[in-house]
Amino acid sequence: MALRIWASSAAKALKLSSTGNGARAAAAPAFSISRFFSTVQDGLKYTPSHEWVKLDGDGLATVGITDHAQDHLGEVVFVELPEPGATVSAGGSFGNVESVKATSDVNSPVSGEVVEVNSKLSETPGLINTSPYEDGWMIKVKPSSPGEADGLLDAAKYTKHCEEEDAH
Amino acid sequence: MQRFASPRCLRPSPPLPPAGARACNEASAVSMALLAPPPSSCHHRSAPLPVPTAASTRHLRGSLLFAAAGGRTGPTSAPMIQPRPAAVERRRCECFDLHQQIVPYAEAYTWQKSIVKRRKELVDSGQDHSDTLIALQHPPVYTLGTDSKEEYLHFNEEDAPFEVHHINRGGEVTYHGPGQLVMYPILNLRYHKEDLHWYFRSLEEVIIRALKSAFSIDASRIEGLTGVWVGDQKVAAIGIHGSRMIVYHGLALNITTDLTPFEMIDPCGIKDRGVGSIKEILKKASDGRGIDDRLLMDIAYNAMINEFAELFQLSLDINSDCSFQ
Repeated sequence: MALRIWASSAAKALKLSSTGNGARAAAAPAFSISRFFSTVQDGLKYTPSHEWVKLDGDGLATVGITDHAQDHLGEVVFVELPEPGATVSAGGSFGNVESVKATSDVNSPVSGEVVEVNSKLSETPGLINTSPYEDGWMIKVKPSSPGEADGLLDAAKYTKHCEEEDAH
Repeated sequence: MQRFASPRCLRPSPPLPPAGARACNEASAVSMALLAPPPSSCHHRSAPLPVPTAASTRHLRGSLLFAAAGGRTGPTSAPMIQPRPAAVERRRCECFDLHQQIVPYAEAYTWQKSIVKRRKELVDSGQDHSDTLIALQHPPVYTLGTDSKEEYLHFNEEDAPFEVHHINRGGEVTYHGPGQLVMYPILNLRYHKEDLHWYFRSLEEVIIRALKSAFSIDASRIEGLTGVWVGDQKVAAIGIHGSRMIVYHGLALNITTDLTPFEMIDPCGIKDRGVGSIKEILKKASDGRGIDDRLLMDIAYNAMINEFAELFQLSLDINSDCSFQ
């Protein structure tokens, strides 16, 4: 699923049609394609404001920002995170990410209590750039309203949202 | 290329020392003779870590939605590129020298924050022309950073043996006390490198170079553990907070610190390694003759500010006349 989204984004970005010529040209060098698409992972839920949330087995929700977001932000230099124990609410800001270009608030996709924050980010904030869905996770939340995440975007809807935004 | 002349105290119109000369104060001149080999001038060291072009941009703030849309829906600003400083000119750094003074933690923290506030205002008006460096000692305190976990305190906060401060630097719990050289560089990373990881590694490098040049001690880093180590003993801790490209808090280097208060915590969350001090290390290496604590602190301080100025390519403007009541 993710691969198809990748290919369709790449094709659209390179303005390729589905004719024979287009198919050959689609094998362009990886570096030029990567400038036009961001990774969107299956299995996560997304907000229109470019945060992702992953619900794991023991009921905790891990939150971070998407590849699309880190790409637009540029190199992250500082990350402000809440203390464990703080309360967050869906759509409310829980911290911010400061890049070379700008500082952006980060909103929580779900409501609940912050049980853990990624302490690596206080020294290596660049993890958000290099690994936005894995090592660059930001907070873990104990959700207070189970099922709240169901209203969020899935990978396909989020990808479409990004394409629409970038098309302006 | 102009060589950095070692720091001079602010006196009315002193003559500029010739390039390469050291204007040492008496104490360090004596100390240099006592410790062999004489520290080589840091001018001959290999090049400092690379420094990119200084640039300044008007600061944008918003939500990720705004950032992701490239700011096209709102007010935009083109970055203002400041002219690159001439190769011979270094950025100025005002240095407040209280390295032989004990300054209460809360007052130093308030002082830092007020400096940072002022610096951010200067950034906004495009006038941030000088970095800042504070060097001092603290009375015994424990400080807990934003990553601190209770399990690393071996006591209840209510019954703590010393003051405990929760502060906004990253990292875990540490101890500050007399005999420990604390330095708070307040730098605008736009004039250095907008990379926090680089900044941590640079501070470590300053300490490693200073320990080598002043004491011939071979200190090192441990991958994944911030700080500076001699063998498996941690001699220096580093904790930083940054916003709007201004970094503050800084480093703490054990010179003659009494290390027993470290036993009541897991310093920086590390359980399986110990803490050391320069005095203890030198004692082991020397024939047991007495070492003057004050002199040791002077030597360390001078080496540290020299290496700091060299690595960050700053021209230090030292103010030794400040004090806290």
